[in-house]
Amino acid sequence: MDSFVLLKKTLPTFIEKLSDEYDVFAPTRKDNIFEYKLISKPSDINLDFVNSRLPPKSILLQQTETLFKFKPGRKGKILPKEISEDKKIIFAIRPCDAKSFSILDTVFDSDFKDPLYLSKRENSVLIGLSCNNPGVNCFCTSFGDSPTSSKFVDILFTDIGEKFFVETISDKGKKLVEKITDLFEKATEEDKNLKDSAEKEAIDTIKRNMKLEGVVEKLDEIFESQLWHSIAMKCIGCGTCTFLCPTCHCFDMQDEATLKEGARIRVWDSCMYSEYTMHASGHNPRPARMNRVRNRVYHKFSYFPKNSEYTACTGCGRCIEFCPVNIDIIDVIAKVREVKV
Amino acid sequence: MVNQEQLVDAVKKTVSREDVKYVVGYEKGTYGCEVTPSFAHSSEEAEKFIFTPLCVHNLAIYPKLEEKLPLGRDEKEDTRKIGLVVKGCDSRAVVQIIQEKGLKREDVVLIGIPCTGVVNPKKLKSRYPNYAEIVEIEEKDSSFSIKFNEENHTIPKEELLFDACINCEYPNPPIYDILIGEEIKSTNKETYEKVKVVESKSQKEKWAYWEEHFQRCIRCYACRDACPLCYCKECMVDQLDPRWVRRSVNLSENTAWNIMRALHLAGRCVGCSECERVCPMDIPLTELNKKLEKNIMEIYDYIPGISEEAKPLLGTFKPDDPEEFIL
Amino acid sequence: MTVETIQEFEPNIIGFLCNWCSYAGADLAGTSRMQYPPNVKIIRVMCSGRINPMFVVNALQQGADGVLIGGCHPGDCHYQHGNYFTRRRITILKNLLEFLGIEPERVRMTWVSAAEGRKFAEVVEEITEDIRKIGPMKQIRRVNEW
Repeated sequence: MDSFVLLKKTLPTFIEKLSDEYDVFAPTRKDNIFEYKLISKPSDINLDFVNSRLPPKSILLQQTETLFKFKPGRKGKILPKEISEDKKIIFAIRPCDAKSFSILDTVFDSDFKDPLYLSKRENSVLIGLSCNNPGVNCFCTSFGDSPTSSKFVDILFTDIGEKFFVETISDKGKKLVEKITDLFEKATEEDKNLKDSAEKEAIDTIKRNMKLEGVVEKLDEIFESQLWHSIAMKCIGCGTCTFLCPTCHCFDMQDEATLKEGARIRVWDSCMYSEYTMHASGHNPRPARMNRVRNRVYHKFSYFPKNSEYTACTGCGRCIEFCPVNIDIIDVIAKVREVKV
Repeated sequence: MVNQEQLVDAVKKTVSREDVKYVVGYEKGTYGCEVTPSFAHSSEEAEKFIFTPLCVHNLAIYPKLEEKLPLGRDEKEDTRKIGLVVKGCDSRAVVQIIQEKGLKREDVVLIGIPCTGVVNPKKLKSRYPNYAEIVEIEEKDSSFSIKFNEENHTIPKEELLFDACINCEYPNPPIYDILIGEEIKSTNKETYEKVKVVESKSQKEKWAYWEEHFQRCIRCYACRDACPLCYCKECMVDQLDPRWVRRSVNLSENTAWNIMRALHLAGRCVGCSECERVCPMDIPLTELNKKLEKNIMEIYDYIPGISEEAKPLLGTFKPDDPEEFIL
Repeated sequence: MTVETIQEFEPNIIGFLCNWCSYAGADLAGTSRMQYPPNVKIIRVMCSGRINPMFVVNALQQGADGVLIGGCHPGDCHYQHGNYFTRRRITILKNLLEFLGIEPERVRMTWVSAAEGRKFAEVVEEITEDIRKIGPMKQIRRVNEW
């Protein structure tokens, strides 16, 4: 890991240099909503944010994505989709959202290797931005991460006043910085200290905490608990939690066609909808909201940790903040731990 | 200000009735001064019920949201009533559902609350980014007193209330079984200010305005799920054949969905603003609903959710309805 | 370059006509050999009351520049009062479209009886000219970006 510093006033030059070769996605602001968007000029960027409304998963796992095209009829055929090799940079991604890509990798890079996601993942460089002021519902520390964690990004920026403290972590990141070294200066010991104190301060700001020990085992024992009924009574099944979640990745596939051509597309779907599990026969294995609420918790906190090294939650706090009826995942896990078997 | 004891007493009385299954109300949420819907099956559970200016949720969705699981051989359907704590607009939503025969009056017991307006959490959050640290929010005559960082802040009511609450014409529940406190005398008149702002734009500006909002829509349908009047067993957008709105998310389909949602609420929407509150992408859906409410008021002199006996707007007609646009 | 930009804009109009009056009116216009623009593509429905506002929105999405809805004169509906319900529905739809910045003139409604072939021809002429002036539907046209 090498450390540099980049003066804040040279950031626009840095972004411009990147734009020559890469599609740069960065946080932009519209009213109160921050969104990662393809930017055309450095001044589009707004770094005055806690986190974006929609997670940056929407860049690599687009909400609507074509799988292949087809022509119907007797001479019909399937036209495979070209896989784009455009190079992308996701600038100022928060460490929690960067982690979500490592979690998504375990899904899309498993038995079946999803070419659409993986090609984009392969061709993108994640430039993280440490979270100096975590939000009220952030709890990434509960998963052993930190708001300035560099584990899942290629390059990490940390705001230390006049300049950014820049760490290059992966080979991808190192190569990118090597190409434009003249913009960076070597970091001094003082800069390093500033970064450390920013990290400490950020960690201290995080008030919320999810206790995870024993949850995986406990969940195995309380599948039939009344707890799920009581949580699900409130739930209105709107699916906001899953759409805004950086690790939720379920999708639906549909054919859309005109008379002359068509395409099979995939769109985000949510396990909170009853149509999600509806069989063609009319049978629904998760008929009630109780089953669906329970499934969401189990998928994240039981099935996922059993099958991979991660819990499918990064502690970004979006589902807590935007749940219309205040179903708070931290509270749910706390209740899980309290249930007597 | 609602008397806490009176509320808890009323809930206790209701929940201990033999013909009542449970009562839906509000309790303190998990952080800050957040409030969450609460279900009391016994009088002990009623103790936690509260009513604060943050009790925004329209609980009228819950009777229709209740899932009836398949019955066993000797089981009988539980036909007991559901108790609801209702504000003015919530009660109007119940009236509207009853009018459409979605519920029977005797299915619900209504604990009415004369409402002086509820706080829009989005406004509160943008004002206090560290929203979770607010411990208390209290209503004074024309302002809210907010305890934040151990300091008391006083904010005029209009700055925090939902736009729909500021000029709410129906603060009192039109139907109720028990009323907490006294009815409010209100002389408010809906001004449709926001609607008029959009109406005054040119056609191009209007579309630019809505295009920007609809472009953002992620079609999670939270607006539908939170709406007390969207209780169809199967929503038109979920139908696969015919497919009214395609699943792909783009401007055309998003607009079609939003047109469809607004039209299906025409003459039914009671203006509780739940759709706008739950929208994760901050689309001003109330403006659409209010626009139709305004026009329907002007053209047909019809107000939804006032009387259980009234006929639905689109299920009735007058032979002399205006028709200037017809060739 | 697309065909549309080379040639002059020809409006594409979908007409939902009720079986008992306006469709018969259109038929009469045809059998009487009246001249009127060929821009209206007719879909016959049993009653104008059958017309869901989503038919109109879907038509506009899928390539129509305008929609014409034809029903019986008030009081003449074969099913007593189907057309009255449509009248309310379309009024509201037009109000909403106008509010969204979509030209409400794209959606037109007419009462044409089975004897009014002449009127039908005139209505079609009028709306074709109107929509030619407004230009092609841009706002909610479906773009298949596969």
